[in-house]
Amino acid sequence: MASIFETFLNGEVMLESAGLLLRGLLVTLEVSVLVIPGGIAVGAALATAASVAPPWLDRALSWGVDLVRAFPPLVLLVLIVHGLPFLGLEPPPLLGVAIALTVNTAAYYGEILRAGIASIDRAQWEAARSTGLSTPGVLRFVILPQAVRNVLPDLAGNTLEAAKLTALASAVALPDLLRMARIAQGVHFNPSPLVLAAILYLLFLWPLAGVVRRIGGRTTLPV
Amino acid sequence: MALPVLELRGIGKAFDGVPALKGIDLSVHEGELVALIGPSGSGKSTLLRCCNRLTEPDGGAVRFGGRPAPSGGRALAEARRRMGMVFQAFNLYPHLTALENAALAPRRAAGLSRKAAEQAAREALSRVGLADRADARPDALSGGQQQRVAIARALALRPRILLLDEPTSALDPELVGSVLDVIGSLKADGVAMLIATHEIAFAREAADRIVFLAEGRILESGPPEEVLDRPRSARLRSFLRRL
Repeated sequence: MASIFETFLNGEVMLESAGLLLRGLLVTLEVSVLVIPGGIAVGAALATAASVAPPWLDRALSWGVDLVRAFPPLVLLVLIVHGLPFLGLEPPPLLGVAIALTVNTAAYYGEILRAGIASIDRAQWEAARSTGLSTPGVLRFVILPQAVRNVLPDLAGNTLEAAKLTALASAVALPDLLRMARIAQGVHFNPSPLVLAAILYLLFLWPLAGVVRRIGGRTTLPV
Repeated sequence: MALPVLELRGIGKAFDGVPALKGIDLSVHEGELVALIGPSGSGKSTLLRCCNRLTEPDGGAVRFGGRPAPSGGRALAEARRRMGMVFQAFNLYPHLTALENAALAPRRAAGLSRKAAEQAAREALSRVGLADRADARPDALSGGQQQRVAIARALALRPRILLLDEPTSALDPELVGSVLDVIGSLKADGVAMLIATHEIAFAREAADRIVFLAEGRILESGPPEEVLDRPRSARLRSFLRRL
């Protein structure tokens, strides 16, 4: 019987599958680089729209956000990636995945930023308005900088979640890190590539988690 | 006689059916300091906020610089710039330095260059005696200094009038003087001001006119010695006695 090391930490298998896995890591990084800024941008747009919207629109936005958040992300991913072609859209697989994951993560970023904006005293809006700043100006220069600082730990935590969520891409056959590891596992009849993938995920996410912890340790803005 | 900078005609405002202002007529002329006195809840803040429409009046007209004051859009934003407002709780931007607090609107609302906005902010900070604290954030300043930065923030926009909403009410007693001194020096420079205040001694000394507001109406108005020394209404007499 093969030892636990030969099964899970088989050096030969790891070496042979390393090239495949690095290509997968690249895809995972590409998806992350699209999804994280995209999610922040869409989430910020949602949150700022809600902060100045009439009540009915604010309610409609919350309803939409809740719907997306209640959806299992994998189901959302499959529906969007396999649904877009029926709308006449055939984006490259990477982009399709990025769109689906952006929709999911934007809902969370949006709720975090909405809470951040709500944490800022109305008096700040009034002071800024009294100096003749337009609503976009008030948001950009006065409200959002303070709001972001108040929710920085949550934003950082959600970023970590978004990066981990990219592993779902393997479910729709995108050759990301997890997908490549599963392929290598099948080729070698050995799960060592999965362990290598886990190590690569760790190398990529651990520093991010460290940043998150440092930000999270910081206190909120003194007022 | 100096021209009126700000004129209110028949301003009325109710909150949830409860009237806060009942037909206020009031004007402030160039270089004039008008002090609004009256008990809490008499409508002083609401009146000031109706001038620049932070609170939308239900009725009546505001004229600014001899013309009807705009009620929305860019024109309202520009009018607000020219009616500097100072709040009881300062409401400085806590994430910005004193200089940035004062330079933000000149740059982003008035559209000055970065350099010109900073120059305007520095001049305004000098006028309130805080040139040396330009790089301090609000939480590093005393209450009195914060309120002077808030005055500088309004002054940096070169307003035609300042609206001051109980600017010393949130301050420790020993800090009140520094803020009142600044307001006095602005008066000497000819800045028109409408100030809600409980500082009767200051109002007597600095105001050209005192307006007594109670239950949303102007009950008395006139030069300080007339209003404070010869009150005609029982309401004002009892207000002055209780101070």
